[in-house]
Amino acid sequence: MSVFMDLNLSYTADRSALQSMVDTAAHLGFSTVAINYLFEPTAKKKQEIPTPTPINELIDQLPIVQGRSRPIRVLNRLTVVMSDSSHFRPTAPEYRSFDLLAVQPTTEKLFHAACMLYDVDIICISVTEKLPFFFKRAPVNGAVDRGLVFEVSYSTAIRDSTMRRYTIANAVSLMDSCKGKSVILSSAAEKALELRGPYDVTNLGLLFGLSDGDAKEAVTSTCRSVLLHAETRRTASGIIYTMRSCSESSCQQEAPPPSEGEAPAAKRHRPALTE
Amino acid sequence: MVRVKSRYLLCEVNVSDRSRLLLLDDRTIAVAVKAVVARTHGDYGAALCSVGFSVKYLNAHTGIVFLRLPKRCYRLLWSALPFITSVEARGQKIPCFLNCLHVGGTIRTCQKFLIRYNTQQLHRMLPKCKNEEEKQQVRQAILNCSLTRGKNEALEDELGSEEDEGE
Repeated sequence: MSVFMDLNLSYTADRSALQSMVDTAAHLGFSTVAINYLFEPTAKKKQEIPTPTPINELIDQLPIVQGRSRPIRVLNRLTVVMSDSSHFRPTAPEYRSFDLLAVQPTTEKLFHAACMLYDVDIICISVTEKLPFFFKRAPVNGAVDRGLVFEVSYSTAIRDSTMRRYTIANAVSLMDSCKGKSVILSSAAEKALELRGPYDVTNLGLLFGLSDGDAKEAVTSTCRSVLLHAETRRTASGIIYTMRSCSESSCQQEAPPPSEGEAPAAKRHRPALTE
Repeated sequence: MVRVKSRYLLCEVNVSDRSRLLLLDDRTIAVAVKAVVARTHGDYGAALCSVGFSVKYLNAHTGIVFLRLPKRCYRLLWSALPFITSVEARGQKIPCFLNCLHVGGTIRTCQKFLIRYNTQQLHRMLPKCKNEEEKQQVRQAILNCSLTRGKNEALEDELGSEEDEGE
């Protein structure tokens, strides 16, 4: 069973643009999309981590996916662009409100740390510049063992020919070290016209050095494993899910209410039983 | 007899403003594809694209295009198609992208897929109808295409003759 997913649609404040982007994604046949909030801390001053707008406020009506009878699923995702190790705070409570967490390391040291230590789901590969380092086998294998995936986004390649060279060069060098496994292809589109159909994306994997099967997995099953990984990261292996109850006495920690729609159906009964 | 094998790509032209689809014609699509192949794959791609490539069919109302590509290098040529961002038609630049729906070995299989796909689109349109009259029209259209000998037959003949010429 394979459904197509695109785990990176750039967040824009323009709601109609976002709506048309989600509509187009549903028309192309993507059954899950993630809206990406980019967080780029600079050294000088401390910046606010963006808070996600709830999906039902952002999009009025979820369109039905092409070829299916279900509405599209929309998630929130945060990407932290790191140029210093202090930029990623593993325990920050703001991270918890996002469904997916991604980092984009810019130096070799940070890449190593992100692969081996950080509790994230996705490691983004920079596509706008030539990478200043090589992907070493050890950290890449470590990341694959821990269940992280690498992401290559293609919409910058569509926009500009120089970026296309960087994208292909970086992607090929990544595929050399990870042998095509645990890679996802996503759009990072800012406009609806920058999205591409799932079959086109699969074939685009050919340019990035993926084989047929790996390219298909990059839009289907690997994306699914990312979602599952994200769920286990947020919810203690998918068994228990805690959240701050939004009552008046906010300091008082109450028994964790059952999560709604987050945990799988089989697991959802557990907290209810304990109450 | 052995025939020259090719692959037919059934693509959908997606534009933001649907009324501009009517400006398209076969030539503009062919020129756009050739240009993008030359841009991404250089002289080699342009050379492969010059033999055995053609735009077989274009429906300007629904934005459906049949592209014929030589079989031995269709994946290479296809990998250039996502880089199309606009098509120049009658002096106007139309921002669009091609979305591949189906890859077939003959026009016939593509056409069968297209009929199924268009029926599906009609079904998708049904809940979006605003008034009863529109709803009735869409229902009628669905019924028409589910009849075995109807309009489809005529279309099939039309396309069938084109296929013969390709062989």
